[in-house]
Amino acid sequence: MFARIGLILSLDLKIVAKAVISGGPGERRLLLGNEAIARGALEAGISAATAYPGTPSTEIVESLAEVARDYGIYVEWSTNEKVALEVGIGVSMMGLRALVAMKHVGLNVASDPLMSLGYTGVVGGLVIVSADDPNAHSSQNEQDNRIYGIHANIPVFEPSTVQEAKDLTRELYELSEKFRMSVILRTTTRLAHSRSPVVFGELVRHGRGASFHRDPERWALLPPYNLVKHREVLERLEELSKHLSDFKFNSVEEGEEDTAIVVSGVAYNYVKEALEELGVRLPVFKFASVFPLPRGLALKALSYKQVVVVEELEPVLEWQLKILAYDEGMPARIHGKDVLPRVGELNKEIVKAGISRILGIPYEAPPAPVPLVELPRRPPVLCPGCGHRSTYYAVKLAAQRAGVKPVYANDIGCYTLGFYPPYQMADFTWSMGSSIGIGLGIARFGSEPVIAFIGDSTFFHAGIPALINAVYNKTPLLVIVMDNGVTAMTGHQPHPGSGVGAMGEQRPTVRIEDIAKAVGVRFVETVDAYDVTAVRDSVQRALKFLKETGEPAVVISRRPCALLVLRERRRRGESFKRYTVVKEKCINCGICVDRFACPAIVRDTDGKVAILQDMCTGCGVCAAICPAKAIQPKEG
Amino acid sequence: MVKRSVIIAGVGGQGLITIGSILGEALAARGYNVSVGEVHGLSQRGGSVVVFLKYGDGAVSPIVTQSEGDVLVGLELIEAVRRLPLMKKDGVVVVNDFLLPPPGSKTVPARDELLAALPRGNTYVLDARELALRAGSDIALNMVMLGAVVATGVLDLESSEVEGVLSKRFKGEFLKINLQALRLGYDSIKKGPKY
Repeated sequence: MFARIGLILSLDLKIVAKAVISGGPGERRLLLGNEAIARGALEAGISAATAYPGTPSTEIVESLAEVARDYGIYVEWSTNEKVALEVGIGVSMMGLRALVAMKHVGLNVASDPLMSLGYTGVVGGLVIVSADDPNAHSSQNEQDNRIYGIHANIPVFEPSTVQEAKDLTRELYELSEKFRMSVILRTTTRLAHSRSPVVFGELVRHGRGASFHRDPERWALLPPYNLVKHREVLERLEELSKHLSDFKFNSVEEGEEDTAIVVSGVAYNYVKEALEELGVRLPVFKFASVFPLPRGLALKALSYKQVVVVEELEPVLEWQLKILAYDEGMPARIHGKDVLPRVGELNKEIVKAGISRILGIPYEAPPAPVPLVELPRRPPVLCPGCGHRSTYYAVKLAAQRAGVKPVYANDIGCYTLGFYPPYQMADFTWSMGSSIGIGLGIARFGSEPVIAFIGDSTFFHAGIPALINAVYNKTPLLVIVMDNGVTAMTGHQPHPGSGVGAMGEQRPTVRIEDIAKAVGVRFVETVDAYDVTAVRDSVQRALKFLKETGEPAVVISRRPCALLVLRERRRRGESFKRYTVVKEKCINCGICVDRFACPAIVRDTDGKVAILQDMCTGCGVCAAICPAKAIQPKEG
Repeated sequence: MVKRSVIIAGVGGQGLITIGSILGEALAARGYNVSVGEVHGLSQRGGSVVVFLKYGDGAVSPIVTQSEGDVLVGLELIEAVRRLPLMKKDGVVVVNDFLLPPPGSKTVPARDELLAALPRGNTYVLDARELALRAGSDIALNMVMLGAVVATGVLDLESSEVEGVLSKRFKGEFLKINLQALRLGYDSIKKGPKY
């Protein structure tokens, strides 16, 4: 129906800077935290990198994909995090080094193989990057994945600076192979998305022969062997714990007081600034290894009268230190979450306030700001020309015509923004694929129809099993796949429906229609997302089908991502017709500005609507929905 | 020790991150430790975005907290005023004279109200879009703002150092436009009066 976007993506990849391989040993470059991790993995000689995109982890594998061909490594965007980890495990079984990256909630998806990986361990070094999001800047929660390591018996490491992100990543491959364990490298948004100077090391091409390490007793997780493996991994962790006290990324800075700070991750920087501003010199124990604890160093920290543990989110270090202190009979008073928050991220002021409370020194918070002007909020919006907007608009019309009040089940992606006014078409948003899954539970008992919105990438990621469930358990639910051809929200990574791979190479296209039909959905229609009438009518037919048959239906509303189309036009120097409001014809009904709500359409100072020419992408949907025909293509 | 804290505020899509990374690169070349961090909401476009840049010697954290900022670079008026609480009392504000009401918002303050909220005596106002168009493209708006902040002299940077970074990063016509935009932004502050 529409040209796929493969070409656009491959062009996109050609022009990006190859930041992670463009410098030699000793050179100092400004790198993003995520780029530094990628560089570290290349310095360790990885052979493969896999990921499913997710903020704040995306740029790790994105920057590796940029250089993969030149450098001779394999990089893929996997269908989901579970698959990404499984591919990584397979590469490790071949004796090669691999990197697997995901955002924190992605590790939930990968947790099934992760738990067993803790038992089996690895052959080739395997680093799993978990990019956590304290403050939930762009996530549904702020879970602390350091706990996953404890749960899975997999060591966890946390860098404090961008430089350390690179160096630690490289070092972890050595450690992973030495102890035959995979490791979790935990980062947070503030590190993943910070740029700082990094001194480069030498790039290493792996040069290893790949061969499958056949060891069924190790790899086949069957009952008689599992307990043996559990015991073995606990012994290895114990061994590692001793080794870690000499690990060069765990450090101690001496101080003058009898109160010590224990800190991990990016919070180290807040501690340094806070101590300086408070004018105190406390000893600072910086632990890059969060689990297991570096036993010797931890005992040294516990020899102080007081310990303040500064860590974001859960008291992971604090718990471990308290257990150790109890077991070893150490009298140190251990503080942490009693003076620091467990919710949200830390910053210098929060750390200052916490430490000063322990030390009993006066602290004055900066004065509360007095707002001089009442400011409107600025939530993120669907872009001008976005096909999701016209889809939402059309679905609303269809529901009105059908006289139903649907439960709007929404999912994770750009289209989640349908939550905001004027659409308000997200009664819930949970996790990847849940619009269908949770929708099924609601549809089972509801009298009004359930309309589940899901994006193309999310559909491939976790929507398909739930759709199969809908067919198998015969549940009426309308699934609207909002297909813009890429994983748009994280910056346009390709997926199985894009027809292009991570390295820009041509790939087969997996068609959403074919999957829906193949799993047994009997109502499958594909419509142009810009064609409001077509989407509306299709949704109406689908709702009728639901009612009559009690079966699920699928409508695929398709339009390539408007941002990508715009970028491609700009690159080609193509011109296009923008739209404008003929003021004499405008009846000021407000449909375009209040109900359609394209960001390019605003109310002028005279109260009439106008189209911001800089922002208009010429999609023409506003013209189609204007009852007065007052919106027209601009001449010239 | 942190030497300066910079806040770059605007709307997603205005090129804020590029300003931050170019300043960061120039400051890193001077030997400073630098941290440039971005904060954004969900979407790529249209949301409120703020970039923090801090530099100094030793550890530098990625967040600018209340009353810490030395310079505020505002690419849009509402977003500039939103970040004022992060500024020191005597901090310098460089702001683009551009008001973009959030889509669907009912109560939008007037331009004059927003300008009046900015610290008098320490604020520079310029029409970055107009200067960018004069340089050859509205996309170079961020380069105009970059030139302007360098011209305030609050950062330890010469215009030539920033030009050097641009020359490494861009090529051909695009480089020419960007350099021109940088210069126009720089000159407008050097010549123009404070607000």
